[in-house]
Amino acid sequence: MRIGVIKAYFKKELLDIYRSKLILMVYIMPSMLLILFGYGIKTEVTHTRTLIIDNDQSKASYDLVSTFEHSKYFNSETKNLSENRALNLIKQDKKDLIIIIPEAFEKHLLKGLKTSVGVYIDGSFPSRAKTIENYVNGVIYDAIMKRSGTEVDRALITINARNLFNQSLRDEDMIVPGVIGLVLLIAPAILSALLIVKEKENGTIFNFYSSPVKKSEFLAAKLLSVLLLHGINIFILFLWAIYLFELPFRGSFLLYIFSSFIYIIISLSVGLLVSIITSSQIVAYVLTLIITIIPGFLYSGMLMPISSMEGESVIEAHIYPVMYYTHILYDVFLVGDGLSASKNLLYLFILMGYAIILLTIGSLLLKKRIV
Amino acid sequence: MRAFLAIIRKELLEFLRSYGLFIVVLYSFTLDVYIAGNGINLDARNVSVGVVDYSPGFISNKILSDLHYPQFQEPVFFASQEKLNLAIRNKEIMVGIVFESDFGKRYHTGNNPVLNLLLDSTASAQSYLALNYIQHILMRFQDTLSFAPIEIQIHKLFNPNTSYSHFMALAELLSIITILAVILTAAVFVKEKENGTWDIMLLMPTDAKAVILAKSLSQVIIVMIGTTICVGTVLFGIFDLPINGSLAAFMLLTFFYAFTSAGIGLFIASVARNIMQVAQFSVLIMMPLLFLSGAWTPVYAMHPILECLSIISPLRYYIQGSESVFFRGTALIDLREYFAGVIVLGGVLFWYGFRKIGKLF
Repeated sequence: MRIGVIKAYFKKELLDIYRSKLILMVYIMPSMLLILFGYGIKTEVTHTRTLIIDNDQSKASYDLVSTFEHSKYFNSETKNLSENRALNLIKQDKKDLIIIIPEAFEKHLLKGLKTSVGVYIDGSFPSRAKTIENYVNGVIYDAIMKRSGTEVDRALITINARNLFNQSLRDEDMIVPGVIGLVLLIAPAILSALLIVKEKENGTIFNFYSSPVKKSEFLAAKLLSVLLLHGINIFILFLWAIYLFELPFRGSFLLYIFSSFIYIIISLSVGLLVSIITSSQIVAYVLTLIITIIPGFLYSGMLMPISSMEGESVIEAHIYPVMYYTHILYDVFLVGDGLSASKNLLYLFILMGYAIILLTIGSLLLKKRIV
Repeated sequence: MRAFLAIIRKELLEFLRSYGLFIVVLYSFTLDVYIAGNGINLDARNVSVGVVDYSPGFISNKILSDLHYPQFQEPVFFASQEKLNLAIRNKEIMVGIVFESDFGKRYHTGNNPVLNLLLDSTASAQSYLALNYIQHILMRFQDTLSFAPIEIQIHKLFNPNTSYSHFMALAELLSIITILAVILTAAVFVKEKENGTWDIMLLMPTDAKAVILAKSLSQVIIVMIGTTICVGTVLFGIFDLPINGSLAAFMLLTFFYAFTSAGIGLFIASVARNIMQVAQFSVLIMMPLLFLSGAWTPVYAMHPILECLSIISPLRYYIQGSESVFFRGTALIDLREYFAGVIVLGGVLFWYGFRKIGKLF
């Protein structure tokens, strides 16, 4: 390896990226993804469009209706419609939730007879439906329990729940570290794949084939520029997370930086592997998107904790490097054990192993040949 | 007209002959949708439970026996709370339950029994759901109904078992349609631009309008065939997705929408000089449109300004329209809003892209 050659090649790459406006993608895309996902993915459901049909019109039913009216989770409206017409409103996507209070609701309650409240939820968005179901259950039971007095209260088991690491159950705390992991997987992979495939498609790769530039020099220049450009993104994303999304940062900053750089090496090696099997930029681009986005989401632990996976997905999750990095990310942002937890240390080593293996495979498979 | 058909044929042949692209597109419409539908599940299922039991164990064991599949894994017992804490910090356990030594006694005498829960809330949605499940279990365990005789009859319409695979598979198909229609169309034009053949194409005695239309139509055809394959094999074949509305309505909506996306593709193609820029611009344009579509957060729950902006996102009409067709079984007449949205926006976008790409200088 000759430093001079690498330096020249490196300079050329940076200029190229700058002039072809690729720099826009390098810096705008990661931040945009983080901001859009950070604001966009909400598991909390607010403003549920609710229709309450009160067939009782008694004090008890008014109480129940007013608890719905005063909740930020529901935008409720009380109307007297037939059940069928109300259901048609859900069908037309005008309402999400219909609550039907039966006649003689209060009377039954006072006498201790069984009564039932009918609830219809639009189930086409499953997670939203589930959350609405829980809210409704909570609101109705709360309202009823309040009527039943203290002796009952004392006999019931109270749950003393502590939400560790994310006390107020903020969506941002859950989403943002996962998205950082996702972005740092996608963006460097695309960039490194395109940088190499571009030369293949334009035919300029023959300059490399026929000139005395060594394979190692070629790769070093290409990959270093990706590493350097995206290395800055590690800091940018960190700033967004702390100042825009107001995440706590409980772990060590050094661990964050170090593991992120290793992760970028992994992801640019993925791009390198893609560039070896493809020869046109559009294929390389779409292929990289496909093989990074889905595993990046699935195995980040953001949507589904690794500990609840079963069957083959456990194995798949352990094969993809995503899981190890996001584990460390969630640790530095929310948990804060750092390297004192042996698991973090182990995962860091696994990440290094991945980086070395993928990079070696990639550079072995890239052939300097004259066809 | 002959030129028109010849161009369509040429583009389709070219697509079939570029094996890499063909395979990637086929993969997107089949396996990718399958993986998304199969893998993503936002419900709290199979949650790992750790228990520290300081109490004599009679009542606590009874409660624990109610935590079972599919919501919970078999509880793992820990000797002390420190060990449980460590397991939670290492993400091996998501829900920790601690029974104090006087739990049983308090329960029998009705003296404020307390169940201590430690929840790993990094995945806040799951931990919230898990908490809800445990509340339910306790309610059933203590027969709360005898204290408050109210029964809440919940009917989840269109998807009574809250199956995620149906929803996720459809959502993935819709995004694949969007991405491919935009990128494929843009790429077809930019490839010619890169090779310098586009100017020649425009100078030729064939009608430039016919050339552009034929080229976009060829890509729309590819997307439509892919959609048909996906709906037939993955959605209906593997996931057994019920369709409550009319399939024809969905295909028609998809056809219009594919043209709308092609319009965006045309615009990108006229601005971009090479494939790399196509890649950048498509992400930069499509992500905000996706964000505004209401696919993640319903439109009515957005900030009022964003709610206004979402009117210009064609995805909004398409995604909501498709979901209505598949799940809600909305009647055709009630879909007019979605059709109107897609067609109007599509018309404008296509017209604009058409003008821009058709200009020679």
